Parts: sequence; C-alpha cells; structure tokens
Amino acid sequence: MSIDSSLPIADRRETLRWLRGELGRRRGGAILAAGIGVLAAAAAVTPAYALGVLVDRVRAGAGAAAVVPIAVVIAAAAVVAGVTAGLSSYRIARLGGDILATLRERVVARALTLPANRLERAGAGELLSRVGPDVAAVGKAVTDVVPTMIASLLLGTLSLLAMVGIDWRLGLAGLLAVPLYVLALRWYLPRSAPVYARERVAVAERSQLLLESVQGRRTVHAYRLEAPHLAGIDTASARARDLSVSVFTLFTRFVGRVNRAEFVGLTAIVVTGFLLVRAGQVTVGGTAAAAVLFHRLFNPIGMLLYTFDELQAAGASLARLVGVAGMPDEPRPQEPAAPPSGALLEVRDVRYRYPGGPDVLHGVSLRIEPGERVALVGSTGAGKSTLAAIAAGILRPAAGLAAIGGVPLADLDPPALRSRVAIISQETHVFAGPLVEDLRLARPRATEAEVTAALATVGAAAWVADLPDGQHTVVGEGGHELTAAQAQQIALARLVLAGPAVAILDEATAEAGSFGARDLEAAALAATAGRTTLVVAHRLTQARAADRVVVLEHGRVVEEGTHDELLAAGGRYAALWAAWEARTPGPRPTAVSLSTD
Amino acid sequence: MSRSRVMPPVTGSRILWRAVTRNRKRLVAGSGLICLHQLAEAAVPILIGVGIDRAVAPGDGRALLVWVAALGGLFVAVTTCYRFGARQLMLAIANEGYLMRGEVAAKIMHPRGIRTELRAGELLTVSSTDADNVSYLLDYIPRIAGAVTATIACAGVLLSIDVPLGVLVLAGTPLVLLGMQAAAPRITRRVTRQQELAGRASALATDLVTGIRPLRGLGAERAADQRYRDISRQSLGAALAAARAQGWNLAASTAGSALLASGVAVLAGWFALDGRISVGEFIAVIGLAQFLLEPLGLLAIVPSWVAEARASADRTALVLAADVRLPEGTAPVGLVEGAAPRLDVVRLRHGSLDGLDLTVRPGELVGVVAARSADAEALMRVLSGGASPDEYDGTVSLGGTVLHELDLDRARAALLVEPHRTDLFTGTVATNVAATTGSGAAAGTTARPDGFDEALAASAANEVVADHPDGAERAVAERGMSLSGGQRQRLALARALLARPPVLVLHDPTTAVDAVTEHAIARAVRALRHGEDSGERYATLVVTSSPALLAVADRVVVLDAGRARAEGRHAELGTADEDYRRMVLR
Repeated sequence: MSIDSSLPIADRRETLRWLRGELGRRRGGAILAAGIGVLAAAAAVTPAYALGVLVDRVRAGAGAAAVVPIAVVIAAAAVVAGVTAGLSSYRIARLGGDILATLRERVVARALTLPANRLERAGAGELLSRVGPDVAAVGKAVTDVVPTMIASLLLGTLSLLAMVGIDWRLGLAGLLAVPLYVLALRWYLPRSAPVYARERVAVAERSQLLLESVQGRRTVHAYRLEAPHLAGIDTASARARDLSVSVFTLFTRFVGRVNRAEFVGLTAIVVTGFLLVRAGQVTVGGTAAAAVLFHRLFNPIGMLLYTFDELQAAGASLARLVGVAGMPDEPRPQEPAAPPSGALLEVRDVRYRYPGGPDVLHGVSLRIEPGERVALVGSTGAGKSTLAAIAAGILRPAAGLAAIGGVPLADLDPPALRSRVAIISQETHVFAGPLVEDLRLARPRATEAEVTAALATVGAAAWVADLPDGQHTVVGEGGHELTAAQAQQIALARLVLAGPAVAILDEATAEAGSFGARDLEAAALAATAGRTTLVVAHRLTQARAADRVVVLEHGRVVEEGTHDELLAAGGRYAALWAAWEARTPGPRPTAVSLSTD
Repeated sequence: MSRSRVMPPVTGSRILWRAVTRNRKRLVAGSGLICLHQLAEAAVPILIGVGIDRAVAPGDGRALLVWVAALGGLFVAVTTCYRFGARQLMLAIANEGYLMRGEVAAKIMHPRGIRTELRAGELLTVSSTDADNVSYLLDYIPRIAGAVTATIACAGVLLSIDVPLGVLVLAGTPLVLLGMQAAAPRITRRVTRQQELAGRASALATDLVTGIRPLRGLGAERAADQRYRDISRQSLGAALAAARAQGWNLAASTAGSALLASGVAVLAGWFALDGRISVGEFIAVIGLAQFLLEPLGLLAIVPSWVAEARASADRTALVLAADVRLPEGTAPVGLVEGAAPRLDVVRLRHGSLDGLDLTVRPGELVGVVAARSADAEALMRVLSGGASPDEYDGTVSLGGTVLHELDLDRARAALLVEPHRTDLFTGTVATNVAATTGSGAAAGTTARPDGFDEALAASAANEVVADHPDGAERAVAERGMSLSGGQRQRLALARALLARPPVLVLHDPTTAVDAVTEHAIARAVRALRHGEDSGERYATLVVTSSPALLAVADRVVVLDAGRARAEGRHAELGTADEDYRRMVLR
C-alpha cells in the first residue's frame, strides 16, 4: 500500500477526536439520540423483569387477578419499546447521515483543491478511491450497521443492569460471558482480517481482468487471446473462491466460540440462581427473568459480533476520509496591492525540476503582449508542457517568476488567477450528465443562449444540434459517447464561457486524426480570438497561424520569431517544418535526418 | 471446464434449478444439519424452563448437574451442526458462484462475439454480482428448511403444553409478520431512491476527480464543489426519508412482536396462576414465543431474497443465451507457400459504405484514405468481425474464400486487424507486445520472442522501455492507463508488427505521434514488412490520413461517399487530385 503514503490517513486518535468534535457540534441531537436509545433498551428489558414477578406470584399461589397489573405493565412497555426503538434508530441514522454528508463534502472539496504536485504524487486512483469506495463504505455502515449496533449494545448493557437489579450476583454471572465474547472476537478478527483483505484484492483483480477483457474485446479477438484471458480470470476467480471459503471456515469456528460464551453465561446464571434461591436471597421468578433476559440477548449480541468486522472496515475507510478532510487548506496569498492591469503575460528566468529529476527548464523567459498569439514548438521532452503549466500558474517555478499584468501569479488567489488565465490540457474529460451542465461548470450562471453561442464559436453547434436531445443530451460516462475531437471542442467551448483574458492551450489538438485536427485548429483560433494566447504546438500549422513562434529545446529557448522569419533563418524550426510538410513522397525528406536528439 | 460444449441453460429458472441439482449432495447434507441446528436452538428456551422448574425451584442439586450436562450437550449440538452444515453449504455456494462466473466470462469472451445490448459495466455486474446472487439460492434453501423445521417443532411443543396457547402463537405470529410486510413496498421504494442518490453522488465525485485537471485549468473547482454539495444534500434527504420509513416500521414491528410475545406470556401466566400449566411450562412458553419470531421473520423475508436470486438468474440467462455474432466457419485459409493470402472486398455495403471494391495483393502495402471517417470505421468493423454476415452486403474474402466461411482461429491468424482505439492489458510492456507469441499470456517469463526489439524500434516504442529502469518489464496498469496515449498507441503498433500476420490491417496508427517520429515509423513499417527480401510474404492495409504513412504505400485508395473514388500513388494523387490534397496534405 505504498501509494497510500501520498495522501494522509488519520490515526485512531485523530479519527476519534474528529468524531468527538462532530458529535460535540451536534450535542443536542447526540444527547437526544442516546437518551431515546437508553429508553428503548429499558422498555425492551421490562417485560422479562415483570414476567419474573409473575412467576413468583404463580408460585405463591396468587389468584388469577394477579395477572392484570403485570399485563398492563408489559403492554405499556411493548408500546414504548416499539416507538422508542423506531425513533432512536431514526435519530441515530440522522445524526450519522448528517456527519457523513459534512465529511464527504469536505473530502471532495479538499480533493478538488489539492495542489498539482500533490495530486501527481498521490495519483488519481488513490484520490478516486477516497471519494468513491471509502465514502460508500462509511455510508453503508452508517445506514446498515451503526443503528443496530448501538441498539444491541444498549440492550446488552440494560439487560445486564436489570440482572444486577434482580441481584448483583446474577448480574455478575451474566457478566462472565463478556470476557469470553471479547476473547472470541480477539481470536477471530486478527485471523480473518488478513484473509478478508486478500479476498478483496482477489475480487478486485478478478473484476479488473474481466472488465479490461470485456472493454478490450476487439483486441482479445484480433490476437486470439480468449484462452489466456479466460485462464487469468479463472485463476483470480478460483483464488477469490478459496479465500472466501477459508475465511468462512474461520467464521464458523468463531460462531462456535460465541456459542461457548452463551453456554457459560447461561449456566452461570442458572447455577447462581439455584444457589441464591436455596439461600433464600433471590426468588425463582428472579432467576427465571435473568435467564430469559440473557437468552434474549443471543441474537443482538450475535449481530453485534458478526458485524464487527464490517464496522472495522468502515473505520479504516473513515480514517482515510478524515485524513483528507483534516489536511489544512492551501495558504491563500495576500491580496496584491493592485490587481493585474491588462493581459500581458510574462515569464522571467524560470527554472523548474520535478522531484528527483534534473532541471527541465533552465532559465526561460517569455513575454506575450496582450492579444498576441505565441506558439511553443519543440520535440518531446523539451519542457513545453512544463512551461505552459508555469505560465498558467499550475506549477510554481523553482526560480524566476510568471506574471500577468505586472502581478506575479503566485500573489493571486486561485479564483482571481483563474478568472484571468485558463489552460486547456491534452487530457480531455467530458463530465457525465447533460452537455449544457458540463459547459456550465465553466460559468455556472450561463444561459442556454450563451451556451449555444459558445458551442457555435467552436464550430460544435451543428453536431450538438444533431444529438438526441441537443445540448441537453446526457454525455460522458454512461451517456452518449463523444469522439476525442468532440470532447476537445467541448473543452474549447468551456474556455469561451470562462472568458479569461489569457488562454493557454497545451497540445489541445494533438490526439485527433488530421481532418478533425484541422477543425479543431479553427475552433481553437475562434475560442482564443482577442485573448493573449500561448499554444503548445505539435502540429506546426498551429505555429504557422501564430503571431510568433518560440522554439524550445532541452529547456531553453533556441529560436524565436515569426513563422516566415524562422523558415528563412533555416535553423531548428525550418528543419521541423520540412519534416512536417514532407509533401513529396518517395525519397525520404532530408530534414528527417536532423531528427530530434 | 464446462465452458464450451455443454449447451447452457437459457432461462433464469433453469439456471436456478441447475444450481440446486449440481450441488445436491452438499445441499442435502448442509440443509439437514442446519435443520438439526434450528431444532437444538429451539430446545434452549424449553430447557431453561425445565431447569428452573426441576432444579432451581425445588433446590435439587443432582437435577442441576443433570441439567448443566444436558445444556452442554445441547450447545455442542448447536455448534457442531452449524459448523459442519454451514461449511458444506459455503463450499456449494462458493463453487456455484465460481462456475457461473466462468460460464458468463466464457460467453462474453466467445471468439465469435456475442450480440448483447449490455455495456461493459453491466456485463461485469452480471459476472460478479448476479453470478453470486444465483449461488445464494443455496443459502436460502437451507434457511427456509431450518425455519420451517423450527416453526413446526415450536408449534408442536406449544400445542402439547396447552392447545389455546399454541393456537394463539400460530395464528398471531403470521398476523404480526404480515403487518410488518405492509410497509415493505414503501421502504423498498425509499431505500432504492436512497441507494440511487448515493450512487449518483459517488459517480459525480468520481467523475469530477477524474476530470480534475480540466476543472483546474478553468478554475471550475468551486462550481464542481457546489454541484457535489447539492447532490450530497439530496442524498442526505433521501437517506433520512428512508430512515424515517424504516424507523416507523421498526417501531411497529418491535411493538407488534413484543405485544404478541408478551400477550402469549401473560396468557400462559394466567394459565399458570390457574394451575393449568406448570411454572416450567410457563417459562418455556415465554422463551418459545420469543424464539418463534425469528424463524417466522425469516420466512417473511425469504420470498424477496429468492426473487432477487431469480432476477439475477434472468439477467445471467440473458447473457448465456445471447446469440453468437459470427457463424462458425470451417474452411482453411488458402495459403500459398511464402505468400500472404489476397484480401478482396467486393461491392461491400455496410453502414455508410455503398459498394466498396478494394483488393490487397500479396506483398502490397496499400493505403486507404476516407473522406468520411464513418466509411473507414465501417470497413474496419467488417474486416475485424465486428459485423455479422447478415449485417452487410457484398463479399469479403481472404485467399479466395469468403471470410465468414473460414475457420475463425486460422482466419484471425492470417488477417490481423489492430483497432484504432488501442487496448492494452494489465501486465508488463513485454506481456502486452508479445501477446500472441505465447510468452504474452504467462507473465513473469523474461524470454523475448524473436523480433521483439525490432518491433519496438519500428514503432518508436523503444523509448517507452529505454527511459524506464525496468525496461521491457515495465509494469502496465489496468487498460494501459499508466502510459500516455502516444505510448499506448506505439506499443499497440509494436504488438501488431511482432505478431507478423500475413495480412495486417492498421487504422490510424500514428495519430498521437509527432511528425518526425511518424516519418520514422512509416519507413520502419515499410522496411519490416515490405523490405527487399520480404517478397510476397506480407500484405498490409493502412487506413489513415497521414501523408507520412501514405507516402510509403505502394498504392493509395481514396474512399468517398462509401466507395473507392480514386487510386494511385501518393505523389500522383497529391499533384493531380485537388480533393486528395485537401484531405491529406497539410
């Protein structure tokens, strides 16, 4: 679990402190829930107690009328027990649900504002497992396990108290079972937990193999890989099966130990009752009541013990959530003396290195006048994307600075920064749901007409209109599937809606085939019209369309000028352009021999 | 494994029936022991009554010893019957789930493809959750048997103690349980709604975090955060609505069962006061009335469980009974020694294709440019077997034999179609690239097949391993997500080249590669498959709009409006054909 190390996990003390804090904030609700729970348990215990009294009256040879007051007490207790049990379970669910909702909102909010380098280190998968499965695990425990568990615990405690009320020695006899229950649990949990963990891993592996085989069916068929893939699934499936059988075998032995505790407790109560009755200190009815009370606990205590590992698993998820929720907020920069004036984008003597790596940028400077369009060109690994991320304020340079309108980006708080500088990276994502809602992420109060206009700007109006429900069509995961080129058009439409003065496009057209790419280039030009624009260009037509071209190699600016100037200069850019153009087939283009490194 | 020859049962009920019959030995043994376990459990409250009556009340020490021994024996029976019975059942359940999963997976991965409307995620649910739910039937049956046994035993004892008491319990308990069922539909509705909203909140969180970089780039984190808050609050509302319904139900059922149990106890107490029954019998009745709620409560829930197993079995049947897409061909591929089979596409109509003619001769490298991407996709679908013969008109033949009459395994060995959307699998770079050479399947083998390095170099994928400490053993995560799009694309190309199929079809193999690398790849592919000493051994069809790839082709076919509009060398088309220039040259 080394990947876990990158996002914090709360330890037991922190988790408990957090829980106490949340309960303290809802003190009224918590006290109410606890009080009603105790009342419910007390009412549930009453009938057995009353029946004990009745047994004694029977033995004393009382008349039939003796049953009436007992019957009234029992009936009243039954009604009170019912109402309070329902109310208490609702109160607990409400308290838990409220705390959970606050927690998950905090976790998602925190996840969304993690700094970029932290996010890279943690990996998307780790973050996703926190906001997805961990939240679900705690949620399921809060609704399914916690209310019954608390009710069982209270019932057990109150029953013991009732036994003590009959005679303290009977209570002590019943209490004998408790250490045995604890021993059973302490025998079982450490043995089952690792098997459960291995089972979960095996099941996850099985699902993963199955899912990727299903999703990659075309490739599996093309390469005739059906047999090896099925064999892999079969192995994982058999492993999961064997693990679930072996953990269940442990469970049956655990049940045997729980039964043993029940036997010891019940025998102790009856034997103690026998001795006390003989000594004349307790009635037969009292002994009967204690025995019946104890027998009634078999089921609730069993539930409590058998769901303990679920609670433990939920506790582990909770610790992972509290770990994220407890991360301090990113420090907010002091408001600069004056807001940025204008849309001049500057990068001065910037150096950068990724953790554990060499310098990627060695003192790069760049100045983009308001409204100017600059293309960044260079081979893979030249540092283009890093420079783009620094210019957008996503990454902080190790030395040097990036500024807009004379104000360093680091001095602007994120909302102020993003309202001025936006970046589109190659990594596109279509947000699941109606298309219009995806676009409204960029401008929450955008009208339908504004959304339509933005789509028209990037040339997406026609195909969006052709979707089953137009811009209300559900897209993304589980919805209408958009092509890579369409997804990039949507990203550009978001940029139009966000309307920043400075736009940075990082390889936004690289993944599409060349027809789509041409449309996307047109869309990108339209989306960035009038904005200060930095384009990381893989397709050199993007460079040709720019006002100025900057060639970056090995973290340094090696050439700078207009397309025509650089062609005339016959340097690095001219070589790249020749390779790109390569109109003449047959004899290999000479430029290729100048290849990258 | 039973995955192939045996015709699988095709309806949900037959799947359930088979689950029972093929596990009958364990099921019978397990159910028998579970019934004994329930009888022993029912005997505990009776024995408590006996102990109070015979030992505690008279103060009889010898009777107490006998009683403790009897209780000990009873608990041994409780523990032993459960332990061995439940184990037998667990073995049956686990094995049935495993067998179902294997069958479903084999069907999903059927080489000839299946026709199904289910998405990948849904197929995964069928093979995991639904397969498990079917096997849980083997859990429900013994529970039902045990509950029925316990109910009958309790009724017998109660009737033997006192007939009116027995009648009250037997008539009252079902009434109370029926009453509890009244609220069930409302609870189910609210819980369904709660789960749905919880699922949506979880999906939204996952979706937002997946798209975190685009969100960041635009400063849309706050809007995203607000959106999650909204759904989180809705989810909380639904959870509370469900908890309220469940709370009311819990109140009613707790009160109802407590009233019944205490009603019986009070009646028994009255009889005891009257001298009709003994104190011991009175205590036993209190315990039994309490105990009886359990098996009867189970019997009340069990129909919904069985219905769930049934629904899962139906969904499983949907997959197992799905039609296979391609017919079973038997003809061998007509191979001439040292020459690739000829690929002929004649008057093909499928999707947007409208009478396409296309031939790839042995030794040829043919480029195809499609003005509409739909044409290219339709062609790929037919060539890859993604369309069944009744979904297209015209003929596609390989080595002179119609494609779907060929033995599928051999046809795929002779004609490899590498799809544009690349799929890599969990493993290493080596296991992915060497997929078909045998060492691909068995992860952990470090031997490289011949041509491994050449294939990596030709597809410019060598930098994927060269820059990494583990080299070709570099791990590839699920679906290749640990690699960039460009890296995945180049590895897929290397895989296709290493497989050395006589006929290779590639679709836009270099879209995520920069121009310089693209030229290098084009020349390397040409050299590897159509070099001077290759002769007619290979044929290659590349569907692409990349001038680099088209430039190295022997022939370029231009598709427009569903058919071949023009044909020639890249250079000729580039000078003579204005449309071609617009499509390809940049």
